[in-house]
Amino acid sequence: MRRSLIGPTLRERRRQLGITQSKLAAEVGISASYLNLIESDKRNIAGSLLKRLADALGLALDELDGAAERRLVDDLGELAGEALLADLQLDAAGKHDLASRHRAWARALIRMHRAWLDRGQTVSVLSDRLNQNPFLGSAVHSMLSQVAAIRSSSEILETVSDLEPAQRQRFVAIVGNESARLAEVAKALAAFFDKEYTDARSVTPVDEVDDFIVDRNNCFPELEQAAADFRRAASIAGECSTVALTDYLARAHAVRVVVAPSARLDVADVRHHAAFDSASRTLVLAEDAPRPTQRFQLARLATELFDRQEAIDGVLAPAGELTTDAARRRARRALSSYLAAAVLLPYEPLLEAATQQRYHVDALARRFDASFEQVCHRLVSLRRPGAAGIPFALMRADVAGFTSKRFPLPQFALPRHGRACPMWAVYQAFGAAGTMVRQLAEFPTGDRLLLFARTVEKARPAFILPRRTYSIMLACDALHADRTVYGDGLDLSSAAPAVPVGPSCRLCVRRDCLYREEEPIVAA
Amino acid sequence: MATRVLIAEDEPHIVESLSFVLQREGFSVVSVLDGEAALRHLRSDAPDLVILDLMLPRMNGFEVLKAVKSDPALRSVPVLILTAKGQAQDRRMAEEIGADSFMTKPFSNRDIVAQVHRLTAP
Repeated sequence: MRRSLIGPTLRERRRQLGITQSKLAAEVGISASYLNLIESDKRNIAGSLLKRLADALGLALDELDGAAERRLVDDLGELAGEALLADLQLDAAGKHDLASRHRAWARALIRMHRAWLDRGQTVSVLSDRLNQNPFLGSAVHSMLSQVAAIRSSSEILETVSDLEPAQRQRFVAIVGNESARLAEVAKALAAFFDKEYTDARSVTPVDEVDDFIVDRNNCFPELEQAAADFRRAASIAGECSTVALTDYLARAHAVRVVVAPSARLDVADVRHHAAFDSASRTLVLAEDAPRPTQRFQLARLATELFDRQEAIDGVLAPAGELTTDAARRRARRALSSYLAAAVLLPYEPLLEAATQQRYHVDALARRFDASFEQVCHRLVSLRRPGAAGIPFALMRADVAGFTSKRFPLPQFALPRHGRACPMWAVYQAFGAAGTMVRQLAEFPTGDRLLLFARTVEKARPAFILPRRTYSIMLACDALHADRTVYGDGLDLSSAAPAVPVGPSCRLCVRRDCLYREEEPIVAA
Repeated sequence: MATRVLIAEDEPHIVESLSFVLQREGFSVVSVLDGEAALRHLRSDAPDLVILDLMLPRMNGFEVLKAVKSDPALRSVPVLILTAKGQAQDRRMAEEIGADSFMTKPFSNRDIVAQVHRLTAP
């Protein structure tokens, strides 16, 4: 790390106090020229001289030994990492200069940044609260039931002319009774909404693309059609093999496929295990990438070249919620992956096999020569009305708890950023790497879900680098659990014990939970 | 013999008005207040139709529905879901499991009666 700029700080402070270089030098017992070198940052100082200078200028030592400044620089670094500021290209040198020369401004920025983060979190929590709070759910349910009783009784009073007096009295009493209960619930609701709610709005490209996919239920019939068209054009009837895809690329698009060590790829390309150079029409595949991954990259390029973005553009054109170029690029990439997956794991055969194999992910991966993660992804997209599979939620987290993929269900919200409930299978799976971890989980809302997760290991270009492990979780309503192999051996009745999970600590109403790490900000 | 309707609903006032309306139409009505009782009654004395709430204590309506539709002896009993859980996913799930009809609260008596007649027509 770059050493802090003690010199400029000393100079700035001396000038503020209106002291000359020679006067200060004399006071601390050094020559004016030596002080000049120190102030120009051409000499490093420490120890007693630093202490004497700090005392003479009335500065705290930690402001001079760089500790305070390093903290500022770190905080500025965090601020510069905000996706919102990405296009400003804030450089590293700037944050050092800001921290050393304009400390107060730096502090002001950091304070604003923290306040901004805090507000953002509050806003998203408040909006989640609408969906997650058990009180709201049950209040709405009660109101509808009470209105139902009132309406039904009023209709009887209105339409049945030959009611006995006792019957008439009875139904009048029901109307009065239920109206009083309705008023109570409405009052409690009004008390709950004592503060104004603000709508959370996605601000980053990642959030925008997430919302775009979730809003469409991860179901894109146009791309399923494009995948079928591709298979027909490429004369691929059965399994879409590496050879068939390589042949198609050579034949239809004059693309040469070579396999090379990851070290030859850029970091961004290593992530995708492939790089395409359009000038030389060469696709380089990472040799250490697993076969399903190589096949996926072949399918991605083949479908991109085949489709010429027509189907993808057709999906993107009406998507007004993608407000930035970055979001549209990201969405394009996501849809391109969808298209490739639709080619490799065609809808009907996959749905049939999934039903037959009872959603056994590893068995499906073997059957379609795909990776565990690819199958999980594709199962989530089997949502075609009239021919849908089990509705699944999907979540992928890394060892630090970062959520890098999310597809929620209406009854199962997933964290947009950061952590969910530590009890979830997605985190528990890290403790049993490579093994499927499953659990019957009950949420405070009473919803019961089957969660099952397994870790996967990604290739890394050098041994010295840490392992790249992700945990991938699928979740479905407990009601569908017996249609999957992961429900086998579990007591799925609603009276059976289940793991008492929550959404995340901040959104959870289980106050006495042993796993709680943060205070809740929702009312019990 | 009168057509027999089982109402599984935990709101007694709804049970009361529904029973009244259906009895006036000539149906014989039995009611239970939770899911387990509903299933017990179904197994001991299968009715000609069930009006089933989804948010029931002890065993929710989805479970009851699933038990009915996976039991060869009960599969043919029509099930009319009557619920405040009216979201699209609830309806879809109920239909996937095999519900014969799906109505949301608040309902109109006339609509319920029409549905019950339709589902029990010979």
